[in-house]
Amino acid sequence: MRTNGDLDPLAWKPEQLWEPWQASDEQPWDRRRIAHWLRRVSFGGSAEDIAEATRLGFEKSVERWCGHVDGKNSGKALDSEGNQTGDRQSDQMTRSVRASEKTLSQSAWWLHRMRVTGEPFREKMTLFWHGHFATSADKVKDGTLMFDQNQLLREHAIGSFPAMVHQIAKDPAMLIYLDSATNRKAHANENFARELMELFCLGEGHYSEADVQELARCFTGWEIRRGRFRFNPYQHDQQPKRLLGSETIQSGEEAIDHILEQQRVEYFLVRKWVDFFICDQTEWTDDQLEPLATQLRQDQLSMQPTLRRIVTSRLMMHPWCEGRKIRSPVDLTMGFLKAIDAMASWEWIAQQVREVGQGLFEPPNVEGWEGGRSWINSATLLGRANLIEGLVTDPRTRIDGQPLASLLESRSARSDSLMQSLLDSFVPRALHTKLLSRFPLESTPDHSAVQRVCQWATHPVFQLQ
Amino acid sequence: MPHRIALHKHGSIKLNRRDWHVRSLLGAAAIGIQGTMPLWLRAAADAGAKQDEKVLVVVQLTGGNDGLNTVVPFREDAYYRARPKLALPADRLLKLDDQFGLHPAMTGLRDLVDKGRFSIVHGVGYPTPNRSHFESMDVWHSCQQKSRREREGWIGRWAASLGMKASGEDSPAIHFGQEVQPLALAHRRLAIPSIDSIERFRLRVDLPTASQEEASNSETAGEEDLVGFLEASTQTALRASARMSEAFARDTDVNDFPSHPFGQKLKAIARLIAVGATTRVYYVTLDGFDTHSQQPAAHEGLLRQWSEGVSALVRQMEAIGQADRVLVMSFSEFGRRVAENASEGTDHGAAAPMFFAGASLRQLHLGQTPSLEALDDGDLKYQVDFRSVYAGVLEGWLGTESPMVLGGEYSPTELFATS
Repeated sequence: MRTNGDLDPLAWKPEQLWEPWQASDEQPWDRRRIAHWLRRVSFGGSAEDIAEATRLGFEKSVERWCGHVDGKNSGKALDSEGNQTGDRQSDQMTRSVRASEKTLSQSAWWLHRMRVTGEPFREKMTLFWHGHFATSADKVKDGTLMFDQNQLLREHAIGSFPAMVHQIAKDPAMLIYLDSATNRKAHANENFARELMELFCLGEGHYSEADVQELARCFTGWEIRRGRFRFNPYQHDQQPKRLLGSETIQSGEEAIDHILEQQRVEYFLVRKWVDFFICDQTEWTDDQLEPLATQLRQDQLSMQPTLRRIVTSRLMMHPWCEGRKIRSPVDLTMGFLKAIDAMASWEWIAQQVREVGQGLFEPPNVEGWEGGRSWINSATLLGRANLIEGLVTDPRTRIDGQPLASLLESRSARSDSLMQSLLDSFVPRALHTKLLSRFPLESTPDHSAVQRVCQWATHPVFQLQ
Repeated sequence: MPHRIALHKHGSIKLNRRDWHVRSLLGAAAIGIQGTMPLWLRAAADAGAKQDEKVLVVVQLTGGNDGLNTVVPFREDAYYRARPKLALPADRLLKLDDQFGLHPAMTGLRDLVDKGRFSIVHGVGYPTPNRSHFESMDVWHSCQQKSRREREGWIGRWAASLGMKASGEDSPAIHFGQEVQPLALAHRRLAIPSIDSIERFRLRVDLPTASQEEASNSETAGEEDLVGFLEASTQTALRASARMSEAFARDTDVNDFPSHPFGQKLKAIARLIAVGATTRVYYVTLDGFDTHSQQPAAHEGLLRQWSEGVSALVRQMEAIGQADRVLVMSFSEFGRRVAENASEGTDHGAAAPMFFAGASLRQLHLGQTPSLEALDDGDLKYQVDFRSVYAGVLEGWLGTESPMVLGGEYSPTELFATS
């Protein structure tokens, strides 16, 4: 059927990129492909996850990992196994983490959640939205509001984009972060208005400076008082506004609806999603993205069908994709732990990922994390290797209650199978040779299994997923 | 591709096992390196001639510094009219002459004025200013105003243009800071190190010697390839880590710096200069200038840190007789709107001053001050293209022809006193 062109998806027609993938004899739903897929739609998977996905087959695995559209209960407490629970103790813990207002505790709570949740795709998208609607505790200085925003993002993560934007536009943490806690008609604050168009919905170049000023006027009277949104009609500028070609817009809500009607929104979003799930090293053209954008618009910006189309596409499952993304610090850490089914000190990890550039609840600026090559520099490379070294040697890093380091040092079948799991689940198959030719699987008298894993962490391919 | 060789030249040095034992090299405060110095470190230590070359320290004031409240035109009524709450009264200023005064927090920099070691380039910007932080910062970093995903910065291009002449050299540029590396330093074929802290910049993993050698010799794929990029970056990281360990294992006389993080970054730079590092450009940022609300206290704190840090660096360089070869250039992605907003802050604006400290500067005021009356949509109009200022630095200080680096011809601003 398809022959030569098959090897290079960038030569495919746009429709072909996003055709649903189907398992076949040449392209089986095997361990390699499952591991790749789990690294992207989830935070990686263990040998057990891979076995489960094998058993379920592709379609049911999609349901298992990417199902759960309804986000109503998405923020509920999880027990240590990741089951949603009415369990009072877990709920109590979630409440106390919220009330603690401590960024580090909240980050630890979130990391634990990523590790154990039964809805990893939602959690991954929540992380995506945290970068998209970037808001930092450093400026907001109210951990409760930060936590509530996180729950908001989780609830809407794979639901309706318009619903999410309307909510985020009134989210106290967001408005405080963008200096819009007060917004008087005499001096409209342009910060939120600008970011709504530039970073949240349209992208640079699809609005004018005049639009920013007009939009800012639509949001006059929007205020945060005592941690809550309220509309102050006395401060709302009642004069007519001209926004993106419309002259009939009055309120902030109407303005948001009008922005969401712009044809750029769907391209802006699907480009970011394709970068996020597939590869951010390619300049995707509008033509390539057109089928996705069209669908997203047809679905009235309801996101789940398009997201699912991306992560079940022929492109996503193509070997071209394997190893073509640089891991974020969270992907690195979670992928490592998930591959061997280990638990760890989440606060310690929260601190470590922050130091290598991904402080949860503390994105670097309103643009969020740039991702891709920007994760990498000398400091973060050394930091990432040191992070894995710290994780492996930390006695709190455990599998079934046993310290990872002692399991690795046991020189038993268990130790070998852990190394093998790391390799199979964590390191893209295409890169195995590169890694093993420098740091072979077999430990030697000179280099114990613990040292070997740490050495792997210094290798360039360890950064790829 | 001559510039690619730059990276791989290092890779091609044959190191024997004893020369290159990474753990001991990077071990706590270890510089002994089991007796033998690696080739490139030794070469660096011997490279006496290189150490006379001029050094540029770039300070990025991130967020959009309010130029008008940094250098205040206290004769202008328009300034006081536009800023009923934020204007600084003339009697609080550190006067420069009968027209301008510095913000009162800038005592350190004010002291440099009389020594001819401080310059202001007024009214710097670029045509059709962009008021988005990121877009405007990208313009300042890449010197380009068109393409969206610009991947190279002016310092990256400058560094790549050098090639790497001797294998013993330090990286031509280093970024100090925890933030993502600024685009200014990016280049497709050259990885410039970012260093966040000396302690964290030490690898705790025991690497086998043989594999290090292999790593050095490994065939690197095309520079656009991700694996190739990561291999080059890993090499740079290991080398820079070793160099830092060396610089901080030795005693130097440059210790008197403010304790805030910005001051400590400048201290690290001073130490590297003092131990004879051959790095030509250092890059640091000071973030927080996006003062949309409650500006006075925040701005004052930032200007104080900036002024304390930069003036300490110049003083320490004077103390070790190096001040004439160290130039500090400070810039921000834009200035702020002339009129204050309702939150006791200022919104994104356009033209603003740039600042130089150290070296032997031609005169205090350069460039041209924009009118406070004839505004462009509420903002100051630029009088000097920032690329002309860069051209002045590239040609007059770094000794490089500027058009290739800047991607166009810009007439260089004359910054330096002719001796």
